[in-house]
Amino acid sequence: MIVQLLGLFARRLLVAIPILFVVSALVFVVLRVLPVDPAAMSMPPNATKSEIEAKRQEMGLDRPLPEQYAIWLGKTLKGDFGASIHFRRAVSSLIAETLPATIELALLAMLLAAGLGFAGGLLLFHWRGTWRGEAADLGSTMLMSAPDFLWGLLFILAFGVLWPLLPFTGRLASSFARPVHTGFLLLDTLIEGRLDMFLDVLKHMLLPATALGLAFSVPIMRVLRSSLYEIDHADYIRQARLRGVSEKRILLRHALKNAILPTLTLMGVQFGFLFGGTLLIEVIYSYPGLGNLMVDAVRNADLPIIQAVALAYAAVVLVINMIVDGLYLVLNPRLRAA
Amino acid sequence: MGKRLARQDLAFLRSGRVIAGAILVGTVMICALFAPLLVPHDPQEQNLITTLVPPAWSAGGDPEFLLGTDSLGRDVLSRLLYGARVAMTVAILASLGAMLIGATLAHIAGYFGGKVDWVIGRAVDVWMSFPPVVLSLVLMTGLGAGISSVILAIVLVDWTRFCRVLRAEVLVTRRQDYVAAARLVGFGHWRTLTREILPATMPLLITLFSIEMGIAVIVEAILSFVGMSVGANQSAWGQMIADARQTIYESGWNLVLPMLAIFVTVLGFNLLGDGLRRSLDPRLMQAREL
Amino acid sequence: MANALTRRSLLGATALGFFGLQSLASRNRARAAEPDAVTIGWPQDVPSWDPNQRFVPDAQPIFKMVFDQPLDQDPKLKLIPNVVKSWELAADARSLPIELREDVVFHNGDKMTTADFRYTFFERIKAGHKVDIANSWRKVTDIEIVSPTKAVMHFASPAPTAPQWLAFLGSYVVPKDYMEKTGVDGFRDKPIGSGPYRLAEYELNARIVLERNDAYWGQKAKMRRVTFEIIKDPSARVAATQSGEVDLTISVPVREVQRLKNEPNLDGELNPITRVILLQVRDDLGFADQNVRLAAHHAIDKKALSQAFYGGAAVPLSVPATPGTAAYLDDYRFSYDPELAKQLLAKSGYSIEKPAKFTFASTNGNFPSDYDIARALVQMWKKVGIEADLEVIEYAKYFELNRGAKLPEATLYSFDNATGDPEIFAGYLLNPKMPFSAWKGMEIGQRAIDLFNVANYDERVAGYKTLNKDAVESGASIPLLQSVQTLVRKKNLTYTRYENGWVRADTMAWG
Repeated sequence: MIVQLLGLFARRLLVAIPILFVVSALVFVVLRVLPVDPAAMSMPPNATKSEIEAKRQEMGLDRPLPEQYAIWLGKTLKGDFGASIHFRRAVSSLIAETLPATIELALLAMLLAAGLGFAGGLLLFHWRGTWRGEAADLGSTMLMSAPDFLWGLLFILAFGVLWPLLPFTGRLASSFARPVHTGFLLLDTLIEGRLDMFLDVLKHMLLPATALGLAFSVPIMRVLRSSLYEIDHADYIRQARLRGVSEKRILLRHALKNAILPTLTLMGVQFGFLFGGTLLIEVIYSYPGLGNLMVDAVRNADLPIIQAVALAYAAVVLVINMIVDGLYLVLNPRLRAA
Repeated sequence: MGKRLARQDLAFLRSGRVIAGAILVGTVMICALFAPLLVPHDPQEQNLITTLVPPAWSAGGDPEFLLGTDSLGRDVLSRLLYGARVAMTVAILASLGAMLIGATLAHIAGYFGGKVDWVIGRAVDVWMSFPPVVLSLVLMTGLGAGISSVILAIVLVDWTRFCRVLRAEVLVTRRQDYVAAARLVGFGHWRTLTREILPATMPLLITLFSIEMGIAVIVEAILSFVGMSVGANQSAWGQMIADARQTIYESGWNLVLPMLAIFVTVLGFNLLGDGLRRSLDPRLMQAREL
Repeated sequence: MANALTRRSLLGATALGFFGLQSLASRNRARAAEPDAVTIGWPQDVPSWDPNQRFVPDAQPIFKMVFDQPLDQDPKLKLIPNVVKSWELAADARSLPIELREDVVFHNGDKMTTADFRYTFFERIKAGHKVDIANSWRKVTDIEIVSPTKAVMHFASPAPTAPQWLAFLGSYVVPKDYMEKTGVDGFRDKPIGSGPYRLAEYELNARIVLERNDAYWGQKAKMRRVTFEIIKDPSARVAATQSGEVDLTISVPVREVQRLKNEPNLDGELNPITRVILLQVRDDLGFADQNVRLAAHHAIDKKALSQAFYGGAAVPLSVPATPGTAAYLDDYRFSYDPELAKQLLAKSGYSIEKPAKFTFASTNGNFPSDYDIARALVQMWKKVGIEADLEVIEYAKYFELNRGAKLPEATLYSFDNATGDPEIFAGYLLNPKMPFSAWKGMEIGQRAIDLFNVANYDERVAGYKTLNKDAVESGASIPLLQSVQTLVRKKNLTYTRYENGWVRADTMAWG
């Protein structure tokens, strides 16, 4: 089992690494087309032309593009993502500070999406063929038509402005000193044993995570329903029915177990989208994560950050896909036996 | 084949979803096409004295501004109508572009298989490793703001949606007997692809196209929300939302109305897509999600 | 709670889940204020914890809490002693002797001496540290150390505003030994200064927590703990203020100030500050014609702009300086006159049917209502026969574009000058050699350059007064409004208002 998992991860890495190379090259080229001069941007306002020219040479900007990429890649492989033009700090430290916040938010959102998705999928399936099913299906189409950022704004308007119940900025109320262990605040507050802080963090995450989760729950419920449909006609389910097993038991014990696999695969794909969705949600909720860093960088034309953050997003997505594949292997008895 | 399509034509006319979707999309389309005739005011005309007038039905409303005015005193209704133009333009052009690239590559990959398939498959993998929002933001940084950049960015990001799903469909179709028969009869690749395979993948293509239009509307809204879409002298829904966010406490309506416009339009496309999928290919509805 | 929530969500009743949170939320709103702690909602993070590194006006009030500037300003902007207790600019403005206090210690216990002063304003620059003060102090040829408390700054050319600069952007004394030991990067991670507070906690783009420095040489601050919550979104700052999460915030929309003032425990202020909102213009392309530039200026209804976007609190300006500063002209007005604008345009052959065309750039979100003002201007111009093509640029790109002479004909710009000195208004804005100036015309430009070398204060100010007027009348400068700092605070929180908009936590107290 472990061997199989490791083998899978190794194979996945073999695919993921070239992908990351291509991704990085792609981003590099796209950003070099930009009508901004990174050398000039990184200099103080009064810098003279000759100083900027010197800086250009120092940054290797006078060399041909492939060579520039090679230099950048060489540094990146050593873990040196360069220094931010705007913050004048190492990009790697900026990413290390913001990535946990984003992952935490995305995971909570995924949890909510999965919860809503499974509940909705079961309901959709349970009500199949009735007017309720039709209505629920229509409801799911409507849910799908409101993208995450619209939910985000609506929640701010409803629960932040019109009916001020929940905070909609940041990660933690200012009366608390932020614990620093892992960067994952939910975890850090638990390490400190501070339940009040834990709840506060959760409260801050609730609106953005729900906004994200709602939008991404629809595909999950639909795939679950379709998988359940298919399995419903399978022989072993019919046999179970013939044996007199209750519908509820069939649904929960037999059908659901098998319908989970395709749903899981989809969730892997969805997580990539959801992780990208955090970008706008973070901006809307002033949530100090990767997305805010990225949007700021785009506004400031801070190329080293844009490059590294784009790569970070891609890397996280690939890692997630790998984990999903691993889970798939663990959960699927047929694959495991093979 | 012709007969089958004809029956399907009738089938999707019976679908409540398709009708509802068509009505919604049609309404937005009419707004977009006839915006210059429909608007009560010039959507760019400012009046710095009458800023943030609430909608006509609420206290302090003015019947002259049916849906109120924004922070520059511009008529919200007129801006919404003109916003439909931007949304529809992007939806149609971007989806067409994404469909052309995605469908072409999908057919090539699925039909020829082998190395071509492998290369296209890897390209899709690379693209899919980017969250779409991140990729479009990177692209927009390179392309610069503007509506044509938005369209191009959507095409460059979303062709994979077509490619991924359609390729599988082409693979299935290629193995059908009538395709093999066509090849045996001596049809060339081009003819086989366009005459035999394309008709079979068409229902899925149309469905995907409809859903992609909804996605394009959303992406345009996102990009104009972060200020990378149309310029200041045009109105776009995302831009209206961005403006309204600054005055969220004084006028929730300014925020809600463009959100509603986006929702209704996307809902229209999704209903249409959903309905078409059910009517055109019942097998798909159960077996595959997009 | 978490379990209950998940279960509810599973039931698909998300909306109901929110109702369940009501009890939780109400606790958040009613937080009792600690008697000696204050939380400030701030729109921007510090660019870095090396205070010499980047010039960001909004970061100055934070830096001033942790680090010390050689000189300080009083609320009326008069220069006053700080860690430099006395100074005397030479008559030729080529040297500046200073004397430091003896009792200043950095947060690590090291004593501040002239060695630190020399390090900050000379050695760092010579060593090639990438700091913005390398530009403000590039004239420094040496800093001669006379004793641990006495030093003399020497300049390559007259530096009449050197004392002002000792209290201005980026001029903070950093500890030489400590910085040499930790390196610049190490310093940024663990910065120490000699200010009234020390940095206790920092989370990028999220919060800054300061704790009182009990070994401070000056008057002890009342607040023991100061938290800056970095909240970039204006409506989020409003919400945080309304919910009581922050005790004071700035840069909220003017309408919000008026609304929040009605809340029983809040007070709102609209404070004009030493910041001008103006158009930086070129002297060529579509703006080569003086008639067009002047028409563009006469067409602007500044009062309407102030009413619409700043609740009428922003003073319409006719010169690029703010009221109360040395070179402001109290009795000079540039008229709002659309008819005159049309006539001027007609003289050059333009009309509403055949409009003069140019490109106009603005930031979006760099200062309150910037984009709104820009869009309003485009409309005002349209009415007299000027068609401006508005493009949005990022503030960071201004200098790069200007350096490459790629700025459009006009750019909406906000210029902060906490010192109030005219050199840092008209001088910087119009001297073609400065990165701020889009204007390269030498008739006005040379006069600005010459004024940089005038050592005598009265002569300098008189020169800037005439320059201000002439620049506006030849269309080299289109000043719009004096910027307004909006501020909302709890009623019982007092602070000292500075005319340059500094909001200093060390002046705050619960009353």
